[in-house]
Amino acid sequence: MQNENDIVVHVEHLNKIFYSIRGYWRQKKHPVEAVKDISFSICKGELFGMVGPNGAGKTTTVKMLSTLLLPTGGKATIFGHDVTRDTQQIRPRIGFTFGGNKGLYGRLSALDNLKYFAELYKLAPETIENRIKEMLEVVGLTGREKDRVETYSSGMQQRLHLARAMLHDPDLIYLDEPTVGIDPIGSREIRALIKELVQRGKTILLTTHYMYEAEELCDRIAVVNHGEIVALDTPASLKMRASNESVIVIHTPTENSALQHELANLKDEIVHLSNSTDTVKIHTRNPGRILNSLAALLERQIISNIEVRNATLEDVYVQVIRESTP
Amino acid sequence: MSRSSGKARHNPLPFIGKQISIQIQMRALSVFSFGLLIFQPAVFSTVGYMLARMAGKPAPDLIYVIIGGGIMGMWSSMVFTSFFDINNDRRHGTLELIVGSPTSLTTVLAVRTFANILTGMVSMLLSFVVVIFLFKFTIPLRNHPYIIVSLLVLFFGFWSIGVFLAHFRVASRVTGQFINYLELPVAILAAFMFPFEYLPRWITWLSNSIPLRWGVTGLNASFQQELILSNLWQDWATSIGVSFIYLLVTYFLSKKVHDMIRVTGELSSV
Repeated sequence: MQNENDIVVHVEHLNKIFYSIRGYWRQKKHPVEAVKDISFSICKGELFGMVGPNGAGKTTTVKMLSTLLLPTGGKATIFGHDVTRDTQQIRPRIGFTFGGNKGLYGRLSALDNLKYFAELYKLAPETIENRIKEMLEVVGLTGREKDRVETYSSGMQQRLHLARAMLHDPDLIYLDEPTVGIDPIGSREIRALIKELVQRGKTILLTTHYMYEAEELCDRIAVVNHGEIVALDTPASLKMRASNESVIVIHTPTENSALQHELANLKDEIVHLSNSTDTVKIHTRNPGRILNSLAALLERQIISNIEVRNATLEDVYVQVIRESTP
Repeated sequence: MSRSSGKARHNPLPFIGKQISIQIQMRALSVFSFGLLIFQPAVFSTVGYMLARMAGKPAPDLIYVIIGGGIMGMWSSMVFTSFFDINNDRRHGTLELIVGSPTSLTTVLAVRTFANILTGMVSMLLSFVVVIFLFKFTIPLRNHPYIIVSLLVLFFGFWSIGVFLAHFRVASRVTGQFINYLELPVAILAAFMFPFEYLPRWITWLSNSIPLRWGVTGLNASFQQELILSNLWQDWATSIGVSFIYLLVTYFLSKKVHDMIRVTGELSSV
């Protein structure tokens, strides 16, 4: 049970409608409901994840909670302050980064970027230098701080984003797709940094497309689709949704009718089937029955390989998104 | 303790200094800035000078067109660099970070405009160099304090209208682009390069609502050999008064713009 004093973010029936213009001569405003009636809470020290396809409403939600966008309906409070009204109380206590290489001045050095944002966040002048030094050390950019940011790799830029977001020592941090476009080693470093932030007692709202990232980092995950939260639970509980399912991945050199014919016969055993160029993925509750039927095809080399594994969080995600897509 | 307070800063000077340093670093190597601050005003001054000479104008009028070139440089610098600054911020995602910080948007725009006008002063200084060293125009010693005050009054006028217009640039990409169209109309209405009396009467009400029109008239008057102090004081007072009206309107406008961008989501380029 959540203690009310521990709730940092509280969202109730939040809505956001944008209006897009359609037509050329006779222009009409067309409403687009980016966020529909979402509700959730985030507790102090929690790492809360939001996953969902592009355009699901994750970033819009983060922007409303960062006071950058006004909700069309519903209510959201941060540390008990209303996001619509109390921007001056909320802004000094939150930090945020938006994914990709946006949010930095490329022609300036990392040091100048951080100094500028330190001024924007009204840090006491006597603390600025030490705080910047500390943050550069935390993100591992000491020694490169005088280089222009445009010469940085994506991973370095992302680490600088984190330093900037942490500069004023916020209690709540929004990380919007922090590892997007970053190589595996860089992503691993960013994830290590995020874990360190949690250890420092920060509350984090993370949005990501990567399920392994959400599974590794998040205490709870909200799956968002078409502006709605369609599932919200701990990673373990979400995976339980598919605990009685196995996934069989069939590798096949070309599209072959024998396999399609066999699968048609097995349709009662298949929960979900997806095809790509050279693989067929089957979700099933009865893997033994399917494997028996496919063994002959494997022997005749109609299919080249079969893998069987438990359902992952990504499988659950795909299932939840599929079920919630009209 | 490094946590920000969210309250008004005690000493704004480091922030102003940092902002100016950023503005200069961002365009130190920009060919566009060179064109805007040096090439364009030089063209205006030269053409203006030639036209005035062909029309047989006496010396003070010649000075007027050359100094007018400098004012034009300041104005263009403010109009276009503010446009590029905000567009760049919008494109690079830094506008959201600025708006989402505890420093008010109006403070940031005010400091930036100040920095841009300060950079634009390069044009004005160059035009003075041209007047004094190229055309050997001697400015009587007693005029010097009046010229300095006139420049400060003009600077204040630039700043007030600059901060006012910057809010429209932030409000939306479309209104931001429309501000660029004001470059030449304002230059004509405020009579940057010719005496104000040359304007048709029916348009003067519009000119009078622009603080630069009074600032420019004041600056021109302070160059005259025979100073008419009562007129000069009147120009200064009116310029400062109109500038304050712009700042007052900006004060109310800022909240509207802040709310508006939070509704439309016009802060980012996506």
